[in-house]
Parts: sequence; C-alpha cells; structure tokens
Amino acid sequence: MGWFGRRDTKSVAKERLKLILVQDRALLSPSLLNNMREEIINVISKYLDIQQSDISIQIQRESHKTILEAIIPVKGVKR
Amino acid sequence: MGRVVVITSGKGGVGKTTVTANVGASLAKLGKKVVVVDMDIGLRNLDVVMGLENRVVYNIMDIIEGRCKISQALVREKHLTNFFLLPASQMHTKEDVKIESVDEIISIIKESFDYVLLDSPAGIENGFRSAASPASEALIIVTPDVSSVRDADRVIGLLENSGIEGISLIINRYDPLLVHKKKMLDANDIVDVLSLDLIGLIPEDKGVIDSENRGEVLSIIAKTPAVQAFENVAKRMEGEDVPFMKLDIERKGLFSIFRRK
Repeated sequence: MGWFGRRDTKSVAKERLKLILVQDRALLSPSLLNNMREEIINVISKYLDIQQSDISIQIQRESHKTILEAIIPVKGVKR
Repeated sequence: MGRVVVITSGKGGVGKTTVTANVGASLAKLGKKVVVVDMDIGLRNLDVVMGLENRVVYNIMDIIEGRCKISQALVREKHLTNFFLLPASQMHTKEDVKIESVDEIISIIKESFDYVLLDSPAGIENGFRSAASPASEALIIVTPDVSSVRDADRVIGLLENSGIEGISLIINRYDPLLVHKKKMLDANDIVDVLSLDLIGLIPEDKGVIDSENRGEVLSIIAKTPAVQAFENVAKRMEGEDVPFMKLDIERKGLFSIFRRK
C-alpha cells in the first residue's frame, strides 16, 4: 500500500482532519483557557468542596453550536 | 420574494464558480427565475465561465455607485430566458465594496427572482463577508481533500456565527475510482467530519473544462453524470427528496463514462 504502511490513505486523511479540526475549533488559546479554568475553580471552591484533580473543562464547536463543558466532581458542600 | 444563497468554500479552486453556473442553470431548467451574482470583485470569472464576457456592459459596482439601473446590468444567458448574470467589477477591489450597499442591492433584486446565487470569492476576508452578508442560506463547496475540508470548516464556523440558517454541503470533483481504492475521502467521511447536510455529490467530469473552454455551461448543453448531479442539487433545493446517485465503480454504466477519453 506504499507511503503510510498498510493503512489506506483516506483513513490517514480522515484521522489527520479530525485532529486538525479539534485544534482549529478551539475558540480560546491554551493560556486563556487555563486562566478561565483557574477562575472557575476559585469561584466554585468558595461554595463547594471539589475534587481538583479530576476537573475537565473544554470549549468546543460541535454541529451548529459551541459548548463549554465543565466536569467538576463535588465531594461536599462548604459550610 | 426569492431565496438568497451564497456559494462559498474558504479555499480557492474547488469549483465555486462552476457550481454556481451549473446549479443556477439547473434551477433555471426547472423553470425558476435565477440570477447568479459574481461577488469576486476585481477577479471576475463567472462571465467567462458562462461565455457572456462580450455581453457585459455594466456591473454590480455600477449599480451601487449609481451609474446604471439594476436591469441594465443584468446579462441574460444565451440559451435560457430565465437565467441571468450580474457581473462583478474588474476595476474595483474588494475593499471598495460596502457591505450595506450590497445588502441593499440584493434585497431589491431578490424581489424579482426565485433564486439569487452569490458566487463568493475565496478567503474569509472582506470579499467573503460581503458575499455572505445578504444571504440567508449557504452552499459550502469542498473537494475531497484535507485542506479543502479544513478551510470549509472554518467558513462554516463563520457563517454559523453570522446567523445564516440553512447551510448545506456540496462535494465537488468526486472520483469514484479513487474512493473505491480508498485513496480519497468518501462522502460519509466528509459529512461526518463537517456535520452538515449533504445536498450534492458531483463526480469529476472532464466535460466541465471542455464546455468552459467554449463558454458554455455544461448543464445547459450536455447530459453527463455531473450534469445529473447538478440537477439533483437543484431538485433538493426545491425540496424534492432525490436519492444520491450510485457512484460506486461496480455500476458499469457510470464507470465507463468516467473512463472515457
């Protein structure tokens, strides 16, 4: 099959496209995203006891809409 | 009141102008009154593709700047009486175009037509923005390659942010033989990546260059698989539920046409 080992080139093209588009569709630079992440964590930490190590915050354009997805595991409420 | 559709791609050379001429012709063949507008100010080509370059007197900038009436700038196609071209200016640059003026002219023109197709220039700058601004629908043209699909994704994002409602996808220059060999992205791959509705799958057709050499629109003078695909786009735009042509190479009839010449 040549250049890309045994894989057909259309699969290579599709994989590359998917990776490229994930980067292209990111609306914020990594540093801005990190700033936002820090601030979100700070605000929520005032009220909730959260599992800092398992937080996932992503912003992505999906079909026809842009979504900010934040997964923040809560351990308990702050009193 | 007519539908205003921008035909755009981000990347150049994927066939926006050819698709504009042929989809426009196909809609006209369905009896619709159609005008195709060349929005590539400074680099006009739609007149040449349609073989109307010798009939151009005025252009869209002449209308905007008050040198002629709209009806004086419209050029009627040679064979179809309900198919018109509004040429671009060759003297101006894209920076000379005010988006509000284009919006105003197109909003007047659409009163007299069923379809206004706006042939956008490549890129995402001023020329693209003034072509997209008056439109409420968009046809995104891609060829089955990584760079074209990537640029299309960028354009789709911009159009969605600007509030355009119906965005559909046309895959142009599709090569069923390469797809069969898994050496070309297939239609499902592209639809999957861009998550748009597919409205057209146009097979590669050498006749396009041949007819453009002579200044004829292929869909008006010939009956080839690509022409049928353009006709299907027009029917789907009209709301008809047309199944996609079988372009797999096992279908001997189609295959033999692709191999011809």
